[in-house]
Amino acid sequence: MPRPNPLLSLLVPLACLMALTGCAPRPPASDKDAVADYKQTNDPLEPTNRVMYKINNGLDAVTLKPAAEAYRYAVPEAARESIHNALLNLAYPTVFFNDVAEGKPRRAGDTFMRFIINSTLGVGGLFDVAKHWGYVNHDADFGLTLALYGVPEGPYLYVPILGPSDPRDLAGYGVDVVDWPFTWIGNGTTVYALEWSYYAMVAIDTRERVLDSLDQVQKTALDPYATIRSLYRQHRQSQLEAIRNDQRATVPAWFPAPTTQSE
Amino acid sequence: MWSRRQFPALAALAVMFVLPRVSAARAADPREFVRDVGDQLVNVINGPGGFAEKRAQLQRIVDRAVDVDGIARFCLGRFWRLATPQQQQDYVALFHQVLLNSIAGHLGEYKGVHYVLGRTTPHDDLTWVSTTISRPNNPDADVEWVISMTGGGPKIEDLVVEGVSLRLTQRSDYASYLQHNGNSVQALIDAMRRILANQKQG
Repeated sequence: MPRPNPLLSLLVPLACLMALTGCAPRPPASDKDAVADYKQTNDPLEPTNRVMYKINNGLDAVTLKPAAEAYRYAVPEAARESIHNALLNLAYPTVFFNDVAEGKPRRAGDTFMRFIINSTLGVGGLFDVAKHWGYVNHDADFGLTLALYGVPEGPYLYVPILGPSDPRDLAGYGVDVVDWPFTWIGNGTTVYALEWSYYAMVAIDTRERVLDSLDQVQKTALDPYATIRSLYRQHRQSQLEAIRNDQRATVPAWFPAPTTQSE
Repeated sequence: MWSRRQFPALAALAVMFVLPRVSAARAADPREFVRDVGDQLVNVINGPGGFAEKRAQLQRIVDRAVDVDGIARFCLGRFWRLATPQQQQDYVALFHQVLLNSIAGHLGEYKGVHYVLGRTTPHDDLTWVSTTISRPNNPDADVEWVISMTGGGPKIEDLVVEGVSLRLTQRSDYASYLQHNGNSVQALIDAMRRILANQKQG
């Protein structure tokens, strides 16, 4: 029996809690503009989500944010960049899995080469050597894969710790925890500690990278909750478009070019 | 030789007579327009001068190149029709300040910036000009400039930064605020004033 992932065991009770709390009232059908807004926002759980957003902000202010600030203060930029690279590199098995599941062989090839090159020449992923050889980083996760399969995103969800999400991306996250090979490696305290450190490091690294922009949103937006909702959706949509529009052919460069070659 | 005193005056003359002509020639093409505005912005960001001076320079560029009134109307969405003429006027005036502040607030972060023009794609009656923006110690960012060629020459209608449209984000912010404040445009105007006042203090 595999040991349950620490994050998943936190999320399940939260999902139950969210199901128990309130929904946003649907505006009356006579108010067409309001109904259109309601549909476009697609946030029927808004009251609950806002509570979660508040809780998360409260927690963030005393945990992750100071940790990210301390990290920025204590670790020089170049070292932070290397740590970021190494964390990305550790996630590549999952990215590769999703590239393949998305039916994008060229992207899978890029990820594979990045993992090999950066793990070796890049000293365990600390240096992004592959970038200079034309294998650039890209995003892939199971939420995006499901989106490509035509699964709708569903209503907006604000999940404590994870932040903005939706049922599709949340399910995708669960799958990616499972398809990440390091989840299954070994057992015992050391592995457990390493796994937790990885998740903690990813959280701090991610938080550090959005310190300024999130500050800006919280200072200048009239409704930061709604602004973050919009930013999240647009960001996911653009990641999806990037995958869809990556129509690179799979023929190697030395192969005679077909007559109708697409860009 | 020109003396040091004469030089600024001559430079100003040159700017007055030569630059408008260059701009007019470029203005016909959205790509050249973006290059023109982009160069001006880079010059301000990387140029000398204090914050106040740069902010004033920025204001001139924004007033000339950005359809601020149009963006303001877009961001208010259906509530534009519900606002009184006085509210519309107040709102647009505040919006000008909000926009300028948000650009000026990032000036420092973009020191050493440069950009490369990419391809141009038509989207309905707008043209998207893509650029890649590089700055030291930051990953490259893809920024699409949404240009409208109708109504008094080329104007910037939106910036799409890494897939995120700035005007759409602003619009959803305002829409949500209005929804939670009794659809009152006046409440929105007051909130905008409050935030601007806070920024001044901060």
